[in-house]
Amino acid sequence: MATIKIDGREIPFEQGDTIIKAAHRAGIDIPHYCWHPGLSVAANCRMCLVEVAPPPGRPAMQLDILRWDPEKKDYVPARKPKLVPACQQACAPGMEVLSEGSDHVEEARGAVQELLLLNHPVDCPICDQAGECRLQDYWLEHQGTGKRMQQEVVHKPKAVDFGPTIVYDAERCIVCTRCVRFTAEVAKDPVLSVRERGNLNEIVVSPGRELDHDYTLMTEHVCPVGALTSKDFRFKARVWFLRSARTVCQGCATGCNAYLDYDPRTNVPHRHRPRDNEEVNKYWMCDEGMLSYKRAVEGRLGTALVGGEDASLEEALAAAKDQLAGLKDDPGRVAVVLSAQHSNEDNHALLTLARTFIGAKDLYVSGRPLGRGDKILMSEDKNPNTLGVMQLAGAPAPKPIASLFDAIKAGKYSFVIALGAEIEVDAKDAESALSKLKGVVTIAAHDGPLARAAHVALPATAWAEQDGTYVNRQGLAQKSERALKARGDARPGWELVAKLGKELGYAMTYKTLADVRRAMTPEAPAASRDADRAAKPEVSA
Amino acid sequence: MAKRTPSNPWTKPAGAPIQGKAIPRPRRTAEVQSYLPELFRGMAITMRHFFKNTKEMMLGQKPDPVLEALNEGVTTICYPEEKRPYPERFRGLHRLTLRDDGSPRCVACLCCSTACPAQCIHIEAGEYAEGDKRRGYERFPKTFVIDELRCIFCGFCVEACPCDAIRMDTGIHATPYDSREQFIYRKDLLMEFTGRDGSRKSANPRHEPGDPTHPGLSREQMDH
Repeated sequence: MATIKIDGREIPFEQGDTIIKAAHRAGIDIPHYCWHPGLSVAANCRMCLVEVAPPPGRPAMQLDILRWDPEKKDYVPARKPKLVPACQQACAPGMEVLSEGSDHVEEARGAVQELLLLNHPVDCPICDQAGECRLQDYWLEHQGTGKRMQQEVVHKPKAVDFGPTIVYDAERCIVCTRCVRFTAEVAKDPVLSVRERGNLNEIVVSPGRELDHDYTLMTEHVCPVGALTSKDFRFKARVWFLRSARTVCQGCATGCNAYLDYDPRTNVPHRHRPRDNEEVNKYWMCDEGMLSYKRAVEGRLGTALVGGEDASLEEALAAAKDQLAGLKDDPGRVAVVLSAQHSNEDNHALLTLARTFIGAKDLYVSGRPLGRGDKILMSEDKNPNTLGVMQLAGAPAPKPIASLFDAIKAGKYSFVIALGAEIEVDAKDAESALSKLKGVVTIAAHDGPLARAAHVALPATAWAEQDGTYVNRQGLAQKSERALKARGDARPGWELVAKLGKELGYAMTYKTLADVRRAMTPEAPAASRDADRAAKPEVSA
Repeated sequence: MAKRTPSNPWTKPAGAPIQGKAIPRPRRTAEVQSYLPELFRGMAITMRHFFKNTKEMMLGQKPDPVLEALNEGVTTICYPEEKRPYPERFRGLHRLTLRDDGSPRCVACLCCSTACPAQCIHIEAGEYAEGDKRRGYERFPKTFVIDELRCIFCGFCVEACPCDAIRMDTGIHATPYDSREQFIYRKDLLMEFTGRDGSRKSANPRHEPGDPTHPGLSREQMDH
């Protein structure tokens, strides 16, 4: 493969790569603001300037400049090489690039940085970007000097409302146009544009429009400075207090890779942001997904419920045993509901209980109803693990939950053991059908119709509180890490299933997640396939 | 050849007898035996302090107890009626400095609670309402709580503050209370304390949005 040399280090490149892209892939960070691996090249910030050695036998392109000579106290003529933006210069085989190794480049970066900070308000104390701001990072790396300009800075509008989710501060903006390009190229809704020129320019929303498509929060995420801030995260936390867990978004079947940023001191999640994965979500996430982190806290089932009353886990398990008495005599009258909202591990445990121990024949699957989808990321199926459940259960495939209620009305079942709280059909229908049964036990993370209709509901942990594997619509099994500590009495779903099985007198031996995963592997090879192979060196865009 | 270990001067070499230095007994002369010269010398010190203190009391000359503590001799003060003045840079209880309009200067940047090694500062940030002149420029602490029991009075919060909003110049030392709740100082209480100059403001004014010194907020107010 053809290679280029950056500061003496040889790195490979693909046909059509720019210098910065090849460097990014090799894990070399060339400072930049406007370049983003998923967007077109604008080359307007000039931060990524590098020195490219001339081809062999050709003179270097030199510029005549005047340089201040402190001894003569005058400008003297000098020459310096012409620098090129690494984000725009295509790679050629054998090209030699000087980035960190060139004094001219270092000088240019300092000058660019000084220009960008010339009219910056430097209100880092109140800026949400502080701590993850490129202006801060690059000031430290490439400038490190105070401001030389004595004049009052240019003032521009502040706290401009761009739409339901985004607030804009024109003074902090460096007009890199990442947000403009994102809305035009990825979200396909070009509502943002630049107005005015020079130091008066600013980002504006098209007249008569708001920034209100499905990918508005991504504009905040791609902003390298604190110009765009999300109303949801605004002033809520300082980023240096947050820790990140590598999770999988639970909003839909796309299974976008995400970081869940949470405050370990208070056990509170603060935001979701995309984790780069070329095969799934590239660099993006939708608003719905980015705001879905709230489901780790909101609408949760905090304690076990027995007949709608709070109970301890032990009481609830004992009550579940009473409820399900007589189940062993007649396994044909048991319906087991798997959940497309829960991980493979949880579903596998319930499947083991149903098939191996109880001997139940009839499987159903529950989940959230279909929603809005698009051609970018959003999937109509709003469940993160539909494919995983189908793969685990195999043939015969689990039936949709609507047919369960028809079968209950026909008097086919006496017992229902269910995972997950959400159903895609009318909740009243479900409650009236389930209330006739002898025993209904639900294991659920959230307070939904299936949990309310259950005689005994056991509190499971949400995805953010346990490790789990989810299979997205492409069939990629992706691991999601635990971020938070479990709230209330919540325990992992597979553990509750194992406890229930033990209470019912079966030899369920799952003690750790590793036990469940080991048991899963021979049964479902597809589900254990790890999407971590797509893992890349983590250089943020 | 084995390396010879250097001898430790603080331990006795093995086998060697303990070395000592003979000190001659004091000679018991009549002067030593009678105690009288020492007695008068001691009495002289007592009387010198008696007359000095009496003179200072009569003339109303109060020596600086801080400086006097550096001198030799007795520098007792009658606490709590008399208190030793704290040095100028003494770190006392915290206060939140105020702007001219009485609002706290704090912008809830959380730098102080980040710097705090005892983690005793809890702040929740809020945003000014739509239409407020500070909206977009500032934010404010909705709650600002210092647990003075956990505080170790290191002064890092004061040094970390970019707005000179938190100070420890009240000159009040940590006060004993009956219950733990009383050590939890909230925003209102912290804003009530004054500095040792009696002012609730900070000595370092800065351009605030809306101040006459502030360069203006919109393009219409600008000259360029």
